[in-house]
Amino acid sequence: MFFIGFFGLAAVWFGIVVFRTFSMVRSALALLFSQTALGAMFLSMQAEFLGVLQIMMMATEMSIMAIFMVMFMMDPGGLGEMDMTHQKRLSLGAGIVSFVAAVAVAVFVDWGPVATVVPDAAQQTIDLGLELLGRSMLIFETAGITILTAMIAATAVAIQPGANSTTSHRRRPVSTNNPLDSGMRRNDER
Amino acid sequence: MSIELLLALITGAALFGVGVYGALSQTNLVMIMMGVELMLAGAMVNLVAFWRYLHPDNPAGQMFVLIIMTVMAIEMAVGFGVAIARFRAKGSVEMEEAAELKG
Repeated sequence: MFFIGFFGLAAVWFGIVVFRTFSMVRSALALLFSQTALGAMFLSMQAEFLGVLQIMMMATEMSIMAIFMVMFMMDPGGLGEMDMTHQKRLSLGAGIVSFVAAVAVAVFVDWGPVATVVPDAAQQTIDLGLELLGRSMLIFETAGITILTAMIAATAVAIQPGANSTTSHRRRPVSTNNPLDSGMRRNDER
Repeated sequence: MSIELLLALITGAALFGVGVYGALSQTNLVMIMMGVELMLAGAMVNLVAFWRYLHPDNPAGQMFVLIIMTVMAIEMAVGFGVAIARFRAKGSVEMEEAAELKG
């Protein structure tokens, strides 16, 4: 119980730090620590596979997020202490209301008897594998296809319009002196 | 109800609340995505807690956590794609400058 409370508190604290610091890199690192604390919480709840998966996935995901932060933010170091928030009071109210509502549901609902015995880690992984490749196979495959579609869609959105197109209005002028350009033109003419 | 289950559910509620605050209050697209990630993390904690303390013999609970992780990955991929397109078009990912996207 101590570890669940400790890692839960750490996850919430780092989650709050995400929106309190001016440095965007620190924000990404705080989110990484928050998700890692959640992974540790899963481990202390004896969900070994999910805990390790959470830590591994979030470490890479948040590293990528930190890189994007540095790329896109005007002041990634937070030295200018720019305020990048709006409608603070409304947001705070919505956050508190959703927290109180969720806690009320957690406290007042009768969840029934609590299980004390959990399958060991190896058995959990076997059961999950059989579940994913058995009863839930359609859902699992749909998730895989959806990720593939999202990757293709994200790449298509991110590609500069007309970067490799010969029909774009942004095509640079073709020089006959450049062998690469003349090759491109020959390809166009075919 | 066990104290452990209550602790996990309160942690999930707190993460969800912090995520709601972040998603609504931030003006930067990447920071908004961080808020959404925290909301999904809150949902994930609840699912793991329900599996562990209510139905540990049913692996479908763990499968739902994998689905949430998939949603997180998809949100990141699509969000960064949109961010790159937006940054290329307007030189910024500040969402207050994206009022023309309103329907």
